[in-house]
This record gives sequence, structure tokens and C-alpha cells, in this order.
Amino acid sequence: MTRTAFALQTNPKVNEPELIARVLAGDRLAGRELYDAHAPRVYRLAYRLTGDAELAREFTQDTFVRAFHRLADFRGDAAFSTWIHRITVTVVANAMRKVRRLRERETDLSDLDTAYPASAGARRVDPDLRDRLAKAIDALPEIYRTTLIMHDLEGYTHTEIAGVLGVAEGTCKSRLSAARAQLRAALADFAKEYET
Amino acid sequence: MTDENRDRLDELLQDAALTYNRPPDERLMPLDEIWASVEAQTFPAARPPSRSAHWLRIAAALVIGVGIGRLSFILGRAKPTSFVSASATSAANSSAPVSSTATAPTQPLDPTTSRYLGQAAALLIALPTETNGARPDQAFMKRANELLLTTRLLIDSPSGAEPALRNLLEDLELVLVQVVRLEKERDHTRRTEMELIQQALDQRDVIPRLRTAASEYAADD
Repeated sequence: MTRTAFALQTNPKVNEPELIARVLAGDRLAGRELYDAHAPRVYRLAYRLTGDAELAREFTQDTFVRAFHRLADFRGDAAFSTWIHRITVTVVANAMRKVRRLRERETDLSDLDTAYPASAGARRVDPDLRDRLAKAIDALPEIYRTTLIMHDLEGYTHTEIAGVLGVAEGTCKSRLSAARAQLRAALADFAKEYET
Repeated sequence: MTDENRDRLDELLQDAALTYNRPPDERLMPLDEIWASVEAQTFPAARPPSRSAHWLRIAAALVIGVGIGRLSFILGRAKPTSFVSASATSAANSSAPVSSTATAPTQPLDPTTSRYLGQAAALLIALPTETNGARPDQAFMKRANELLLTTRLLIDSPSGAEPALRNLLEDLELVLVQVVRLEKERDHTRRTEMELIQQALDQRDVIPRLRTAASEYAADD
């Protein structure tokens, strides 16, 4: 599988413990440096999980505001990237429950494709089948959906996902397996087409 | 499910990686905008105002403050009383749109009131630059809150009994209430609020009324 490859690796040029210490001392420039090192991946994950540019923007903002406010609680037991992605997933999950309660999914997937067109590498997949898969991913239970998006769409490893979600690696693998099983079931009536 | 189908699902998921909720390229992400909001909430004291907004505020305060100060001086010498057009809008119908020459104080303004009006105008002039789609910084919001408080005190003071000044103060109060509310708005509603503020400023000609009054009296002096 082609990976979008966004592993939780820290830029070796960035001395994060030092940056964090400076942020805690009120150094705004250090805050910006820490933000620059992680914001693109946080925004990317928020966008994948929400499918909405405005929500992704808002959740990325909330993630960093919370992270900076709680920075004193960060002990360094896990990587900073793992910690901030954990905040992202929590922020998105909590907020999306409210968003879902307020509205049904308003934006047609085809509109989203128009906003950020599929890259040239996208394969020729029957649009109906693509739409069916998208709806099946949307319908997955949240823990399965997050695991599938992080692993199969964003290229995180099981170890990284387990760290972010705070579960054992085996749990992460079984969630992915269950997510895929549900997708297969949702696409079952296309199975004959697969075989022909 | 056969191995072939398993491969097919992998293929579909590869396609989904390129199409499902696909994020924009990094250069199109609004990362600077997001940082501006994060910075304002996390490092409020350290956030320097933008140079242009800073100078704009100083220039506006100087021009309008001096103009209104001269206005006070002129009015104090009982010079023209006709600068307010005959169509001055009363406080009772202050919600209706007014023209730029419709209302301005007809009585001499004391220095404190003049200074306050200049500061209010400067704040309103700087507002679009200051917000620029993000949450205004805390110093700006503090200033807006102080001016709102002063506006309300003036409305209830003897100065507020003068119809034209009262009309102007009520329009200012309406706009300042909206400005103060910006702090609590979420990003996606803040833009709408900014549009409403702009509409209120345009419909009531708040800033031009101050400027016109100041410039007319400055020229007349």
C-alpha cells in the first residue's frame, strides 16, 4: 500500500526538550518553532477525520492552545508528537460528537473532491464504488474509523497509533482488522464485480 | 472473502488515501492564521501589535483627537452652530441609517469627551487590521471594553442629554458591544460578526461622522 507517510518522527534538527523549556518560560518564538514542527501533521489528521477545512482549522487551533496550556504536564514519557496527536484525536472526537448531533453530513463527498481535487496518482475507481467506500468509512465506529484512517490513509504505524490512542499494539491491530471486515461487509454486493 | 477481494480492498483503500477527506497541500493550509489565534490565546502579553495597525491607530488618534479637540475649542468660543444638518436624527430613531452629516454634537465637548471620541474612532479604524479574521488580541479587547464602559457612563451623564451627542454615543455603543462580543465568537462565526460590525459602521456612518465633524471645524478655525 502506498503510504502518505506521516510517521510521528521528530525533526532531528529540533531540540524539543529545550524548545519546550523555552515555551514554558514564555518564549513566543520557541512556541512558534514547536508549532511549525507539528502543525502540518496535526492539521492533516484533523482534516482527514473531519473532512471540513473550517473544522480542521478550529480543531488544530484548539489542539495547540490546549497543548501549550498543559505543557507543564508533559513529562516526556512519550514523544511530544505522540502527546499532541493524542490531544488532536481527543479534541476531534469530542467536538465531532457535538457537530454530528447538530447536523447531518452536509457536504457531498464530490464537493470535497472539487475543493481539493484527487491527486494525479488516484486510480480509476468506479465513482459509485468510491462513494460507497467513503460512506462505509464514515459509518465505522469511531475507534475503528480513527485507526483505519491513521493506518491505511495516513501511514501511521501500529506502534504510533497505539501510543496516540493509548491502547496496546495488539488492540490497534484487531481494531484495524475489524474496521476492514466492516468495510468488506458494506461492499459485499460489489463482490461479484471484484471477481469478474 | 477471497485473497483477490482482499487485494481489491487494499486497492480501494489506496484510492481512498488520495480521495477520502483529502487534506490540502501543506502550502495551502491556513497555518499562519491558526498560529495567530494560538499565539493570541497562549502568549497574549508577548504578542506585538502589527506595525501597520500600531501606526494606523496612532495616526487616527492624532488626526481625530486633534480635530475633535479643536472642535471643542471652537464650540467653546460659540462659533458655528450649523454644522449639524437639519436632519439630525433623534435618539428615538437611532436604529435608522443616517447620513455622514446627520448627527454630531452641537454643544462644546469637554476635553475628556473629545479624547474619548478620538480613542473610540481610532479603535474602530484599526479594527479590520487588528482582527484580520483572527481573535483580536487581549489588549485590543481590553481597550474596547473600557471604551464601551465609558460610552455607557457618558450616555447616562449630563453630556448624554444633548441629542446629537447622545445619538452618536448610542451608535458607538451598538458597535462597541459587537466588537466586545468578537472575543467570545468562534472563528467561523467571527467573520459573520465582523461583517455585521462593518454593516453597522457603514449604515450609521460612525467613523465618517467623527471625521467630518473634526475636519469641518478644523478647517473653519
